[in-house]
Amino acid sequence: MTPGAAGHRGYFHEAAFYGSDGEFLALVVPFLEDGLRAGEPTLTAFGAKNTALVRAALGERCGAEFLDGDVHYSRPASAIRRYREAVAGHLAGGATQIRIVGDVPHPGLGLPWEWWARYEAATNHAFEDFPLWGLCPYDTRTAPPRVLADVARTHPVLTTAGGEHAENPDFEEPARFLGARSPVFGDPLQRTPPAIDLIDPTPAEARRAVLDATRGSAVDAAEIDHLVVVTSEAVTNALCHGRPPLRLRLWSGEQRAVVTVSDLGSGPTDPFAGLLPPTDPASGGIGLWMAHQLCSDVTLHREPEGFTIRLVVGVAHAA
Amino acid sequence: MRLTGTTTSARGFGPRDHLCWAYTDPGDMRVRMREFLADGLELGQRVSWIASGPLEDLVDDLRGVPMFDRALDSGAASVSSIDDSYPFGTVVDPPGQVGVYAEATADAVAAGFTGLRVVAEATPLVRTSAQREAFLRYEHLVDRYMTGHPFAAMCAYDRVELGDDVVTALACMHPNSNQGLTPFRVHASDDGTTAFAGDLDGPVRDAFARTLDLADPAVADGELLIDGTDLNFVDHRNLLILADHAARRGATAVLRTRAVGAARLLEVLGLSNVRVEVPA
Repeated sequence: MTPGAAGHRGYFHEAAFYGSDGEFLALVVPFLEDGLRAGEPTLTAFGAKNTALVRAALGERCGAEFLDGDVHYSRPASAIRRYREAVAGHLAGGATQIRIVGDVPHPGLGLPWEWWARYEAATNHAFEDFPLWGLCPYDTRTAPPRVLADVARTHPVLTTAGGEHAENPDFEEPARFLGARSPVFGDPLQRTPPAIDLIDPTPAEARRAVLDATRGSAVDAAEIDHLVVVTSEAVTNALCHGRPPLRLRLWSGEQRAVVTVSDLGSGPTDPFAGLLPPTDPASGGIGLWMAHQLCSDVTLHREPEGFTIRLVVGVAHAA
Repeated sequence: MRLTGTTTSARGFGPRDHLCWAYTDPGDMRVRMREFLADGLELGQRVSWIASGPLEDLVDDLRGVPMFDRALDSGAASVSSIDDSYPFGTVVDPPGQVGVYAEATADAVAAGFTGLRVVAEATPLVRTSAQREAFLRYEHLVDRYMTGHPFAAMCAYDRVELGDDVVTALACMHPNSNQGLTPFRVHASDDGTTAFAGDLDGPVRDAFARTLDLADPAVADGELLIDGTDLNFVDHRNLLILADHAARRGATAVLRTRAVGAARLLEVLGLSNVRVEVPA
């Protein structure tokens, strides 16, 4: 095992901040080269720009595995699942440490952040049993300050281009970080009157209402089907686990459809719900996990007046 | 093709159709009974009205309509009192009961009729849970029999006496029912498989699990084929129930459906013993 994560058991999760392409390469290239030299499986999942920078610096045949960052980071729950599968495959092949580095999406890259903030916290738990060294470099030129603040709270280690790995004093226990989150509703579409506003619909009534309200929508039909499925799940969950009354609202925009399902309960008790597959499918949690696999954004809002899940299909608002 | 779905009248059903009619008004139920049997006579089927009560009262239910008067006189129509055939509290033997109707259907055909059609007011046979379990198994077995034989039946149930839960459990095992009784149905399909229809979502999960166990769809070559042509929606809870049922039968369930999201759901769930096929 190579230095840095040497002596560390389980997931070594570190963040780094850079302000230029040169700083980016000074962080990433040694990380990759050290791993390759040690014969460790070394994976990257960058967007097009950073992939090109790394390929130019290391050469096409460097031996690193280049994943398409846009595909890999399409959804947090999918990214966790893919990483777990990739890591399990490498471990089965005899690897003792695996290195991963990639561009985690945020509004600076045109994508929503909230569920990626939850992802960054949840991976500390999801990967804790894996001999995995994950480096998360964030570009201070594009990432908004609140993203950088969340990054600082979700990574137990901070690294610098000089190769130092320092314990991060701002790191918060993932369950605490996740339990305390209550994002604002920042989508301008939700400032318009909803196309649907129903109190206590049955799941079947909710499905019909979503289909009716999105008829003629420019959003892909398969995505509307997914919205029907996940809305039905959210309503069922609110009926089974929440506190009445249940309120279903839907906004149908040109590029996306947004559903919120609210009740007076406190929401799921599992802080990792939705991001990780439920350990026992019969015990519940599948609906929330499916929403995270099928939507383009899912946010969970815990407020004094109750719990709201917000489900988006189509092009999610980057906030 | 047999009819499937919900209906507001008992008219228009073919020689192999199976209808559940839950009623609150006995007078209206008798109107539906006559509708159903009248169509049978027009199709050349022998018809029978079976209910609790004295035979003369059952005959009176049909008399006064020229078509039924002629049929009663010729033997094309008959009545039978359930009190004579089934003493109080009888628990039916499902295959035996199907055998009774198979024999009666064969007799009707041998006598020159195109088949047999009955209306049975079966409330006395589903009053206890033991009676109901046997009768529900019988409902699916006889439904399978009807797909291949000229036998049609309308099963009438007293909604006031039995209550909505019992009536729903009965209705969901029929390919047809009057409106508002059940959001899903499990019945025999024309191709010999079992059909799921309607909406299988969270609120019907327990009812679906019970119904599936009672219907116990046939396994052929390790596969449990489900015709989901009329299935609008199925959620993960009910797919898990299907997976569990198939596992207990040592089979792979193959669900042929265009239901919203079913194929993607299976992908996400990663179930290995359920497959969704989208019909061509």
